[in-house]
This record gives sequence, C-alpha cells and structure tokens, in this order.
Amino acid sequence: MLQPPVLAEKEQLKVQDLMVRFYTYEGIVKAVEKAKLKLRLGETLGIVGETGSGKSVTALTIMVLTPTPGKVEGGNIYFRLTSGEIVDVLKLKGVELLKIRGKEISMIFQEPNAALDPLYTVGDQIAEAILTHRLPEMLERVNQLKKKEASSLLMRLPIFKGIFEKRLLNQVVREEIVQLLRLMEIPDPERVLDSYPHELSGGMQQRIVIAIALACSPALLLADEPTTNLDVTVQAQILDLIMRLKQRFGMSIIYITHDMGVIAEICDRVAVMYAGNVVEVAPVKEIFKNPLHPYTKALLESIPKPGSAFKSIPGTVPNLVNPPSGCRFHPRCAHAMKKCSVEVPQLKEVSKEHNVACFLHGDA
Amino acid sequence: MKMVKVKGRFRGGESPRIRELAFILNRIRRSPLSIAGIIMVLFFTFIAIFAPVLAHPQPNRDPYMMPRYGFSPIPRPPGPDFLFGTTEGQYDLYYGIIWGTRTAYRIGVLVVAVSMILGIVIGSIAGYYEGVIDEVLMRITDIILAFPALILAMAFVVAFGRGLDSITFALILVWWPSYARLVRGEVLKITAEDFVEAAKAIGCSDFRIMVRHVLPNTIFPLIVMASLDIGSVVLTAAALSFLGLGAPTGYADWGQIISLSRNWITGAPGNPFAYWHTYIIPGVFLFLFVMGWNLLGDALRDVFDPMIRRR
Amino acid sequence: MISGKAIRSPANILPFFFYLSKIANPYIRVGLQGVRMVNNIKTYVARRLILLLPTVLGVTILIFAVAQLFDPVQRASLYIRDPKQLRSIDEVIEKYGLNQPIYLQYFSWFSQVLQGNLGWSQSLHMQVIDAIITRFPATLELALYAAPITIFLGIRLGKLSAVKKDTLIDHLTRAFAIVGWSLPAFWLGIVLLAFFYGGLGIFAPGRLSPWADVLITTGEFRVYTGLYTLDAILNLNGAVFLDALSHLILPVTTLTIINVALIMRIMRSSMLEQLGKTYIIAARARGLDDKKVIDKHAAKNALIPVITLSGLLTAGMLSGMVITETIFEFKGIGYFAAHAATQLDIPAVLGFALLTGIIFVIANLIVDLLYAYIDPRIRLA
Repeated sequence: MLQPPVLAEKEQLKVQDLMVRFYTYEGIVKAVEKAKLKLRLGETLGIVGETGSGKSVTALTIMVLTPTPGKVEGGNIYFRLTSGEIVDVLKLKGVELLKIRGKEISMIFQEPNAALDPLYTVGDQIAEAILTHRLPEMLERVNQLKKKEASSLLMRLPIFKGIFEKRLLNQVVREEIVQLLRLMEIPDPERVLDSYPHELSGGMQQRIVIAIALACSPALLLADEPTTNLDVTVQAQILDLIMRLKQRFGMSIIYITHDMGVIAEICDRVAVMYAGNVVEVAPVKEIFKNPLHPYTKALLESIPKPGSAFKSIPGTVPNLVNPPSGCRFHPRCAHAMKKCSVEVPQLKEVSKEHNVACFLHGDA
Repeated sequence: MKMVKVKGRFRGGESPRIRELAFILNRIRRSPLSIAGIIMVLFFTFIAIFAPVLAHPQPNRDPYMMPRYGFSPIPRPPGPDFLFGTTEGQYDLYYGIIWGTRTAYRIGVLVVAVSMILGIVIGSIAGYYEGVIDEVLMRITDIILAFPALILAMAFVVAFGRGLDSITFALILVWWPSYARLVRGEVLKITAEDFVEAAKAIGCSDFRIMVRHVLPNTIFPLIVMASLDIGSVVLTAAALSFLGLGAPTGYADWGQIISLSRNWITGAPGNPFAYWHTYIIPGVFLFLFVMGWNLLGDALRDVFDPMIRRR
Repeated sequence: MISGKAIRSPANILPFFFYLSKIANPYIRVGLQGVRMVNNIKTYVARRLILLLPTVLGVTILIFAVAQLFDPVQRASLYIRDPKQLRSIDEVIEKYGLNQPIYLQYFSWFSQVLQGNLGWSQSLHMQVIDAIITRFPATLELALYAAPITIFLGIRLGKLSAVKKDTLIDHLTRAFAIVGWSLPAFWLGIVLLAFFYGGLGIFAPGRLSPWADVLITTGEFRVYTGLYTLDAILNLNGAVFLDALSHLILPVTTLTIINVALIMRIMRSSMLEQLGKTYIIAARARGLDDKKVIDKHAAKNALIPVITLSGLLTAGMLSGMVITETIFEFKGIGYFAAHAATQLDIPAVLGFALLTGIIFVIANLIVDLLYAYIDPRIRLA
C-alpha cells in the first residue's frame, strides 16, 4: 500500500508526469512528455490522436511493455488492483509484474493477425493465458472431476495418474475456453478452438484476441485501435461486443483510436494527445459540444461532412527528436501567442471535469 | 565573418543523395568492425596496386611466377635474405604473397564482375518478360544452384583443363545464378509498381525502362552481394588451387603456396613448428583478405538494410 | 456373416455403416483432424515430388552437358564397365551410340545411369558406382557427427546472441562467426593438424590408426556398415571405437568452426526479426515470462528459415567435404573426387557431381516437408 493514498476511492488508474524517450540513431525521440491521465473504476476513457502522438506508447507503457529502444525516463503509473491494493506499475519487477500482465491489465491490438502466433492453434494461445493465471482454479476443477469419476486402481498408479490428470486438465481448460468463445459470440467454438490463426477471418481473429485478453477478468483493458484494420461492418460488430463484454465483466477500458465517431459511441471521457502531450481531457459530450484546445477543434472540424469542403490542419506532425519549444502545437496553431513558443502549458481544470493545456484558457 | 565548417548531420537543403551518403558514412563510422574491414580492404588494394614496387619482378619472366632460388625441397625460414622465407622448392615466399594479392584480386573481381553482368542481363530478361522465358531461365538457375560451388567448379575445371583461366571461367559459370535470381526478384517487384505501367503507356522502350527505372533500384543489394562474394570466390579459387586444379606450381597464388606446405606441417624432428612460415603466413594473408571483404560486405548490408526499410 | 454376394448389394451395406459411424464418431472426429493435416501434407508432398522430377532431370542434363565438353574417346569411359573395353573403342561407340545425335546419346547415357553404370574410373581402378558405394560410408560418418553439432551449436549461439543483443556476449559470438566464416577451410585444417598432430602428436590424419587397419584386414574386426564408430560398437570393441572417434575430432572441429557461423548468423537475424513482432508483445501482455516467450514463441518461429539452411548444410556435408577430407586424408567421396579431379578422371568427377546434385535435390524436398510440418500456413498453400 502506498501511503498517503495516491488514488481516490473510485479511481482505477492515474498516470502522472510520464516521460518516455526512444534512443535511436537519428537522435533521442521524446515520444511522451509529462503525460497525465486519470481513469475511474468502470469508466471508458478514449485516447485520440494522430500517428506519432504517443498514444500507443503510453498504452504499452502502462503494461511496462515499452518497445525497445524506448526507455521510461520518469513519472508514475498508479493502478488499483482487483484486491483494492494500489501499486506503482513502473516500480514493479519480475514476478510481480508478470502477475499483473494478463490478469489485472490486458491489451488488445490493432492487427489481430499479427497479435497471434501463427504456429499455435488459437485454443493453445487462449489456454496459455488461462494456465498462467488461473491454474489453481483449473486444478481445483480437476480435483472435483476426479472425485466424481470412479477412479479405478489403474488410475492410482503414478504414471497413469499423471497422464490421466493431464487429460482432465486439458478437458477442463477446453471447456473453459469454449465458454469464453461463446461469450465472444463465436459460432462453433469447438472447431475454432483447434484452428490456426490464418484459418480465421479478421473479425474472428480479433474476437480471439479479445478472448485472450478477458480470459482472466482483468480490471483494466487497453484497446489499441482494435477496429481500425477491420471492415466497417465487422467494426460495428466488434464495438458492440466490447460494450456488451464491458457490461458483463465491468472492467475499465482505455480505448485508443483516431476515429472520433468511435469515441462518440463508446467512451465516457476523452483525452486528446498531440506529439506526446495530453492537451485536453473532457467528458465525451463536452468535447464535442465545447472543444477548447485549438488542436481538438481542428480535429473535429476535419471530420468530413457531406456538403462542406475538406478542412485539414495546416502543417505536419513535428519531428520528435527536435520538437518545437514550448507548446508543441504552436507552429500549426492559428491562435499562437508569444508565450506559446516559450513556456509549456500544463493541464488545468477549466470547468467541471474539463482540463486543457493551453494558454488561451486559464493561466498556466 | 569566418566561415566555420560544421561537421555532423546536414540539414535540409542538400540533395537527398548527399544526405543519404552522409547517413551511410555516419553509420559506418559508428561500427569499429566496419572500419576494420575498410582498412583491411584498403591495405590489400594498396599491396595489389604497388606489387611491382614492393616485389620487383624478374626480367624476362612472367611476373606471376615466383622466383626460385635453388631446388632444395626443404623450406628456409624467414631471414635477412628472404623476408618471409622460402617454400618447398625454394620459391620466394614474400614475392609470392605480394603478387598473390594481385592474383586474388584478378580472380575475385573478374569472377564477380562478369557474374554480376551476366546475372543482371539474364535476371532482367527473366523478370521483365516473365512467362515461359522466366520459367526456363529459373529452372536453369535452380539446377546450377543445386550443386555446391566447389564440386561443380571441379567438374568444369576437369573439362577445361588446369589453370587459373579454367578456374575463373568455371567460377563465373557457378556464380552468375545467384545474381540472376536477385535481379529477377527485384525486377518482378518493380514491374509490379504502377509507374512502370505509366512509362509503358507513354511509349518508353522496354530497354529504356529497364535501364533507367529498374536497375537503379537493384544496385544496393547487388553491391552488398558482390562485396560478400569476393571473399567467397577467392576462397573457392584458393581451394581449387590448393587441390592442384588451378595455378601451376610456382605461380603466385595463395592457395597454391599453401599446398606447397602440406608436407611440412609436421615440422622437423625436435621442432614441430620449424616450417610454420610456409603455412601460417600465406594463410593469414588469405584469411585477412577474405575477412576484410566480409566485414565490408556486412557493413554495407547493415547500412542498406534499414534504409531500404525506411523507404 | 458377410458373404461376397451380400456385400455387392448396396442396401445391405448401409445399416452396417450407420451403426459403425455411430460408434466411431468421436474417434473419427479426432482422427479427421489428423487426417486433415495429413491430407494437406499428402497433396503438398505429391506436388513437391512432381516438381522434383524436372529438377533431377535437369541435374542429369547439366552433367551430361558438361560431359559433352570432352571428345568421344574420353566420353567413352563414361559408359564402360571394364578398362579392357577401351581397346576396342569403335565397338564401344557403336554399342552406346556415341556417334548419334545428342538427344539419343542423352537417353542412352541416362539409361546406363539408371542401370547403375556410371563408367570406369582409371584413377581409382574400379567402376565409378563401386567407388561411390564403398567411399560413401566414410563421408556419412563424418557428416553424421559434424552436422548435428554444427546445427545445434549454431542455433544455441544465434539465440543467445539475439536475446543478449549488443552485449559483450553478442559481440563475441558475432566476432567468432565472422572469423569462422572467413577462415579458409583448408588452412584451418592445416593449422589444426600442425598444432595437434605435428606439435602434440595426437589426432593423426586418416580414419584409423595402422593397428586398427590391421585388425580389419585380418578379419578380426568385421566391418558391417562402413561407419567405423558404429561398427566398433557392433563389434563390442572399445579400443577401435576410441581410435575412430579420435580421428574424427579434428575434421569435425574444422567443419564445425567454419559452418557454425552460417547457421548462427541466420538464427540471430531471424530471432531479432521475430522479437520485434506484435505477437511477442501480445505474448508478454498475457503475462508469460521471458523464457517462455523466447523459447516457446520467438524461437520456434525463428527456426523456420534456419531449417532450410540446416538442410542444405547437411546436404553439403553429405556430398563430400572435398577440402576437409583431403587434408585429413579421410577417405570419403570428397577425398576421391579431389584425387580423381587432379588425374583428370572424367567419369569419376562427373559421377560424384551427379551424386551431389541428387543429394541436394532430395535434401530440398526433405526441407520443404519439414516446413510443412512445422508451419501450418504452408500446408494450405
């Protein structure tokens, strides 16, 4: 337990001053600079941003899976476990960390085909998740089964006992997986279980990835653009599924996307990221009704609407090896002031639940 | 105002080619192995170029034949009169090593260059015209590639007769298929791109398309392959000479020189390493030559690979 | 119960199958999955075998083409079984059609090959086919020891080097690989011989010490397979076993040092490629520990290209390591190929080349089958 309590009673996650840097040949990429995020229990937080905004890196870092050559250079990630205990994820090591990944925090990925090992059946991969975290539970079921079935003398011999128990374990896990697949609304789960990833369609693969993530009932689900690479119709199905599963499992979700439409549909609150900074955080309705940060406004305006001309944001995403000084958006901002190129604006609460990092709103 | 030359990365402005060159040089500079490779290659190139100066050829004699100073089979150790000693049959080892560098380069460069040209021509034709021509040509390369280089080269050499020319010819026949395959693969990739269709629509001749668009894109992997191959070619040629299928006895060829040491590896009674110079010295030179080119090829590959991915 | 007549009537069969299927259903379901896999492999194998034929034919055509570079008298020795036949060249030419058009000559030669007639070798004083059969076990023994060691070491080192990228171990193993790859095989052999045999007096060249050879000639030691270590076990002769083994040490070491580099390199780059992939992040995200992620997922995927290389490497070893065998006087097919080449013994050299080509083609097939076994994506292709 961390004293004094760093997370409020209903808070699930708090990311504080997160800094992630990538050490590459071209220089040091300052991918995430002093990012701040808060997540409540059972809430769905959307993270919106262009490619290179640092959203994926942030999500991966929450599980301490920052891809090399990335290094976490500072900040805290406070997380509330299912047991109620609060930990700083970044300070965990070894076995402690492994207990969290897959069990307390899970992740689903953008390309379901790439997220599955092509050499193992889909069932094998789900079983991995189950056997890593829920082994005692499965063994308990095996024991129940053993008591129920009349065990002959043969089964008491050590060699046969081992084989017998293994078979029972397989059976128990298979049953569990079938249940899980049914929850994912996958037809014919027995056959799908024994299929290889490449034998399944994109939508099916993504359901499998979700199944793996939810196999151990995590408290937090990180969704990194899970529907971006799917057909539009499948997209809708998967989104529906995720929402239904959320009802059932009650986990908090961080949903990363660049699609404002999806945000509008499923998120409670939204965080907008630009070039490694969180620039605005607000409830969904608020963001659409009253966007404050110039970047957020531009994003919303750039959504193509029938009848009006295309509006794009002038300029390009900055080079993160040598990012602009001060506010990273200032070179592209129509309202840039002198202050913007000198000081970095901090996230400030401007109205209820609505935080902005901009000198136009609130003093920095 | 004084003009200060700024080292390091260039910023915009310069043409992309210069920037790429700067990037390449920068990457090479960071890797000590690459630098070692470049130094070794330069060292051997220097020796090859200045061979006549470093070891004066004898008048009225093929400069590639090592001078003999006697007929005794017992090699003499390095000393004041012979810098590296003599081999069996009293050939001047130092002379042989120096001019052997030239031999190595002659064979290596010739085989690689001709194989590359042959490979480019055949590979481009196969890749560009596809269909039956492609199938037939690829079957042929498959069959040649089905044999290990040494054995097939041996078969050719037996047919053509002993000698360095036979070896060169045999090695060319054995080596061109790998280049053909590489070029064909690249050509297929490029012709799948739309701009080739566009060029055809404008009315560019096939030849023009191939030369101006296809080939420049295949240069980099070809260069990498070539530098890695020089080492292998020289090794294989040395092996053939060692077996007695290549250079005649007394020729300045490292493989041949090493074969002269075979009877002396057990040394003299009481001194097992008495004749170390007959096999250690030429072997070290051969080894360093091959390693230098391998390191260079590796360095080039490391540099070009991520760049290709970056594109 | 079932008489011949009864079977012929379809109506009688149906109920039989009906009950059979009810009983067998669960087993069939499981079996079908296996059968599905086998079926896919069966068609895959069939397809690969069919593709095999033209390549094998191509190999023979190439050898035949090289043979055409010689004059008819020299070529005659490709067809004869006995040197005495050379005295009546014209008869030979008539018999095998050497004065006929090329394609007829090819068929005539090919049919001779199929009958096992590869010609007569002057340098070896025996039929080429006999030379190959008697010499092959030596090469087989050498390859049997060298190949697994090289492949195993290469995979281990490659995996280690990739996992510990950019550390001292990585640099050391890579340096070792570059050195090994650049070493001339014949030179390494000589240096090792000079040091161990010349300097220390151990590990003499050849396959056996003279005293063991004597045992063979007198018949005290029965040669069953031609693989001396195996035969020593079958003869229950420990002394000969150790002797044969000691003669294998240097050649196997030479081969290993040079070829480990190749395998190690491919394994390393393959591992690095896999370690950057999303499914590895996903596996970690499931909570799997590093060891499981690397061994169970990354390494298995990384092994796929390594298998091709290992297969080709083994094939290369089986087709006779000419240089190694020559230096260590290890009398396998490579040694005699070199010997024959220097004597310009055409049938022998061509015979060995033909054998090599066939071995490689078969090795390619085996590698492809292994691929299909390991990688489920290939089976459906």
